[in-house]
Amino acid sequence: MPTPFTPTRRQLLTMIGQVAGTAAMYQAMTSLGFAAESGYTGDLSLQGPRQGRRVLILGAGIAGMAAAYEMRLAGYEVKILEYQNRHGGRCLTMRGGDRYTEMGGHEIACDFQDGNFFNPGPWRLPVHHRAVLDYCRKFGVAMQPFVMKNNKAYVHSQHAFDGKPQRIGHVEKDMRGHVSELLGKSLQQGDLDGQVTLEDREKLLEGLKEWGVLDSQYRYRVSDDLGGVRGYDVRPGGGLMADTKPSEPIDLSPLLQSGLWDQVFNFNSYSFDPPMFEPVGGMDQITDAFAREVADVIQLNARVTRIAQTDNGVIVTYADGARGGEMREESADWCICTIPLSVLGQLDVDCSDAMRRAIGAVPYASAFKVALEFRRRFWEQDDWIMGGVTYTDLPLVQIAYPSYGFLSEGPAVLQAAYDTATAGRTFTYSWSTMTPQERIDAALAFGRQIHPQYDAEFMSGASWVWHRVDWSLGCYGEWTDGLRDAHYETLCKIDNRLVLAGEHCSHIPAWLEGSLLSALDAIQRLDQRENA
Amino acid sequence: MGKLWYLAAFALAVFASSALAQENAATADVDALLSRFSEDADHFTQTDGAALYRTTCQACHMEDAQGDAGVGAHPPLTGNSKIMSKHFVAGVILTGYRGMPGFSSMMSDAQVAELTNYVRTHFGNDYPDPITVNEVADLRPPENN
Repeated sequence: MPTPFTPTRRQLLTMIGQVAGTAAMYQAMTSLGFAAESGYTGDLSLQGPRQGRRVLILGAGIAGMAAAYEMRLAGYEVKILEYQNRHGGRCLTMRGGDRYTEMGGHEIACDFQDGNFFNPGPWRLPVHHRAVLDYCRKFGVAMQPFVMKNNKAYVHSQHAFDGKPQRIGHVEKDMRGHVSELLGKSLQQGDLDGQVTLEDREKLLEGLKEWGVLDSQYRYRVSDDLGGVRGYDVRPGGGLMADTKPSEPIDLSPLLQSGLWDQVFNFNSYSFDPPMFEPVGGMDQITDAFAREVADVIQLNARVTRIAQTDNGVIVTYADGARGGEMREESADWCICTIPLSVLGQLDVDCSDAMRRAIGAVPYASAFKVALEFRRRFWEQDDWIMGGVTYTDLPLVQIAYPSYGFLSEGPAVLQAAYDTATAGRTFTYSWSTMTPQERIDAALAFGRQIHPQYDAEFMSGASWVWHRVDWSLGCYGEWTDGLRDAHYETLCKIDNRLVLAGEHCSHIPAWLEGSLLSALDAIQRLDQRENA
Repeated sequence: MGKLWYLAAFALAVFASSALAQENAATADVDALLSRFSEDADHFTQTDGAALYRTTCQACHMEDAQGDAGVGAHPPLTGNSKIMSKHFVAGVILTGYRGMPGFSSMMSDAQVAELTNYVRTHFGNDYPDPITVNEVADLRPPENN
């Protein structure tokens, strides 16, 4: 008898997609509980326990604090054990006076002026990350727009245009113009007659002329109309100022060869759709808001060493930093563990073999940031860049300009280098091998190739390397499709009295939203189990 | 007051004469530092084991390969019985190990061999059996795994 084939959910969806098309696959995904905008509806309904129940939560990041907040509201007794002397986890903000000694013993010293800061971890919120934004609304966290795409910011290649950075808007509009011209020519020559009807052809040609700013012969050329779209070499003025002069497009071939078009694709990501947001005053405003709700149940400086399970509860052993590291125990009916897998895998945990394999299976991604403070906002004053992100093929990968304090005088901070392993690039590993001072030196050496003002205006720098943080040993769970098929479901399932939460238990790795949704999902399942 | 001014001027003069020398030294240091980055964003371009170690492994296992430990640990690469097996070391570089990411897509077999042999003969390690490029090729996982 043949063995019945029981596909994984992913295999099943792929089969549906192949047989019935993507619309059917999407529908199936929705009924299986993925897709459909994260499944978050905003109405968490916990029944609460039928009798006194204690929930011990490990980790005071956003997942742990959200779990504590919601479970306490539902009537559970909650307590959070946190290793660090602070709440917030990987959501943190560095300001002047902050010091952090990373693994390897080097100290990161942040000496920024009052009001300036940088976010080593999450730093911007997509508009569709509804759970995070809902809690921000509920807790009164003030939001401001985060400028992700700024057409005045740059794309840059050390190998193109003599290393001179180009404006994002120019590259994008020139590519649109050139592609429109090519498509227009093709349509006029009848090359696409098999694909478009005569009526559609006329509509398309008409549209391309507008969209690509083509002339009457469907050519992308300098013109007054193009000035109104692409900008000017001499901008329209007043009175007797010089005559307006529209700017000249960049030719197609050098543009294609430069690789700058590819860099503009960075902004295509759904996560980066405008408008994005950030909390006023630093990303830790979000986790501080959670902490205001649950601070009374957080025990800081508690280093968990063992998670033991019995048939009807958990016993967690920890070193209590407030009592000179004395080993203590904490018992509860349930444990929600948000410790990153990289660290959890090194602890003594009672769980199924399958879950132990899952915990040990997920590599933690490399990521780093360098922030530099300058005496003045030369990017605004000299280069007319108000917020946004510049991309480059230099190892610094991107420079992010502050989306706050526009036009202000005095020192300001650039996020002067940032990359993660998600892009699969080598650079983030190399940055991670450097001392804090070396990272600043390298960020200055590369950055001055884009902004020559660096040398005259530099004041101080700070940085962060996630692989040199002992409580995360990397930045986020670096899932692959293969790893998800093999381990994800096991990792998220309740294991007797233990359930895991955090960005690693989500389909949105590294984002606060993933962490939050995993916590909301975990507590809903615990509550159902409690009331089963 | 006058004496203080004199001292300040003297200090400035001394500083100015040594500043140029310092600047030159700093430039050389920065060049060495920047050479740690690969020419290629997608693949490491260093070929010898020491340079590969310095631009990858050192991030976690540190300059002296002793690693470091807080609540979580990056293990030392010396006094570590796992290093005895060249296949284990090369395999870990290729596929990763627990929280450690693998490097198979960013390093060639020759680079993995160089790096394996470097780690196993430095930092106090002195294993006599180098791994060959072909042996690394046999360990390489299939792509897109």
